[in-house]
Amino acid sequence: MNKELPPGLALQKVDERIMTLNVGPQHPGSGHMRIIVQIDGDFIVACDPDPGYVHRGEEKMAEYRNYITNIPHLERPVIHDSCNVLYPYVLGVEELLGIEVPERAKYIRVIASELNRCVYTMYWLAIYGIFLGHSTMFMWPAGDRELLIDLLEKMTGARVTHAHFVPGGVRNDLPPNFEDVCLRQVNYFEKRIKEYAAIFYDNPILIARTANTGVLSREDAIRLGTTGSVLRASGVDYDLRKKEPYDVYDELDFQTNVLKEGDSYARSKIPWLDMMESCRIIRHALQKMPKSGSVRVKLKPNPKGGDASVYKRVESGRGSLGCYIVSDKKPEPYRVKLSVGSFRNLIALPYLLKGEKLGNMPSVYWSLNYWPVEADR
Amino acid sequence: MNTATGIIKALNSGIKHLAIKRFTLRYPEEKLKFVGDGYQFDPSTGVGIAGYKGRHMLFHDHCTGCQLCSIACEGVAEAIAMVKVPEEYKQNKKAIMPQIDYGKCVFCGLCVDACPFYALYMTNDYELSSFSKEGLIYTPAQLQVKPFVSQDSEIKITDRGATHG
Ligand code: SF4
Ligand code: SF4
Repeated sequence: MNKELPPGLALQKVDERIMTLNVGPQHPGSGHMRIIVQIDGDFIVACDPDPGYVHRGEEKMAEYRNYITNIPHLERPVIHDSCNVLYPYVLGVEELLGIEVPERAKYIRVIASELNRCVYTMYWLAIYGIFLGHSTMFMWPAGDRELLIDLLEKMTGARVTHAHFVPGGVRNDLPPNFEDVCLRQVNYFEKRIKEYAAIFYDNPILIARTANTGVLSREDAIRLGTTGSVLRASGVDYDLRKKEPYDVYDELDFQTNVLKEGDSYARSKIPWLDMMESCRIIRHALQKMPKSGSVRVKLKPNPKGGDASVYKRVESGRGSLGCYIVSDKKPEPYRVKLSVGSFRNLIALPYLLKGEKLGNMPSVYWSLNYWPVEADR
Repeated sequence: MNTATGIIKALNSGIKHLAIKRFTLRYPEEKLKFVGDGYQFDPSTGVGIAGYKGRHMLFHDHCTGCQLCSIACEGVAEAIAMVKVPEEYKQNKKAIMPQIDYGKCVFCGLCVDACPFYALYMTNDYELSSFSKEGLIYTPAQLQVKPFVSQDSEIKITDRGATHG
């Protein structure tokens, strides 16, 4: 202990009560990322999220591909929500190239992106359920999700990673008889998710575990720049579909869900309430959609943008998702930057976990609606 | 609601499902039904025709060897290589046709959108596993074969719930 140290060196004093735990990156409770937590007994005193394990260089890759061949890889960050991930990019390229999208295509895009939002949320809910040890809540969403995946597969030809949106509309028109099938399955889906109330959301065990854990106040939510369900669970009414309507959202009838509590329970309830709104949007859009017409504007091969830049954002399953594109008169974009909701919500994690019990970490962490691959891009 | 009723209600909503037919699809005994014969593209209108994006199908009597599909795939997955074919076709002087490596293909269908001669479509075939990497490379002759895909299950919704009947 009393070893002679070389001059200039000093030993750091160690706090023997504090233990550092390394959760992840393979831990099922963290996804593809690491959370370094320091605990005192059972309580977390500090937490340092460490993302970056699934960085794929999507943004750099986009500089070497043209505006069309960028589509399949740009939807990879969130394959369950691939239409919404692509949405801001496609809207941006349309503005750069000055394309006017046919009316029917706009409705098809809204339907596809709402279906996709539900598919993503169901997957997220399934994992949230299993994090809390509720395996029925893993099985049910994973099964009911199939209803919507089936619709998307009929519509776009792929179960995930649809590559359906293109600048100028969508790749193909709806298959015959799609409206009836869609209405039937969406109605049944809505009936099913309402059944989740008794087994999950009104379940006293869940409420006891998640209410009043990881509380994010309204002021902190705004100050930290959180978005999507995290922001709305803290009492801020902010939904880009209402605030900056894109395509035909301003013509559709829906409302945004806001809760005041800001705890894990409220954060996990908002996406579930949003799914019911999505069902309403889909029904209304199917009703208002023009029954025939073009769905895609023909572009010339290798379209070039002018000397311009554009920023577009949409409301994805995880909050605001922006895409900044700079073009320099070449067929390839000069720069594509994604601003993703997951990364913005992760910033809140160290604040939420301070003083929580270690056992609450998975539920607080996953209630942030975080998707590791999207945050790393 | 007090705690005991809440827990009983939660249990009850799960137990009700014991009497309901399962929803799960029993793959591979049952297989899902798709719309149409696979994704196709009509170059005259510039719009695709809805269908499943599975393994490709190449029509030798339409393909001109123009390489547009291969150029389209270069920015995506570099899955298409143009190879020599032994047959001679009037419209295909160079006698080259696409060969697709399904170890690389991501089934985006952009090559189908690129073909101006109605020569490349996609089919409902999605069971493409192989024991070797070479087995995933499909030559023009293999791509010419129309796959047989059994499709028997669809989602059926009744008052008692949904099944894959
Ligand atoms: S489907 Fe996409 S990845 Fe596959 S060969 Fe065609 S262009 Fe390439
Ligand atoms: S499949 Fe079509 S695009 Fe490809 S070489 Fe043949 S004609 Fe050209």
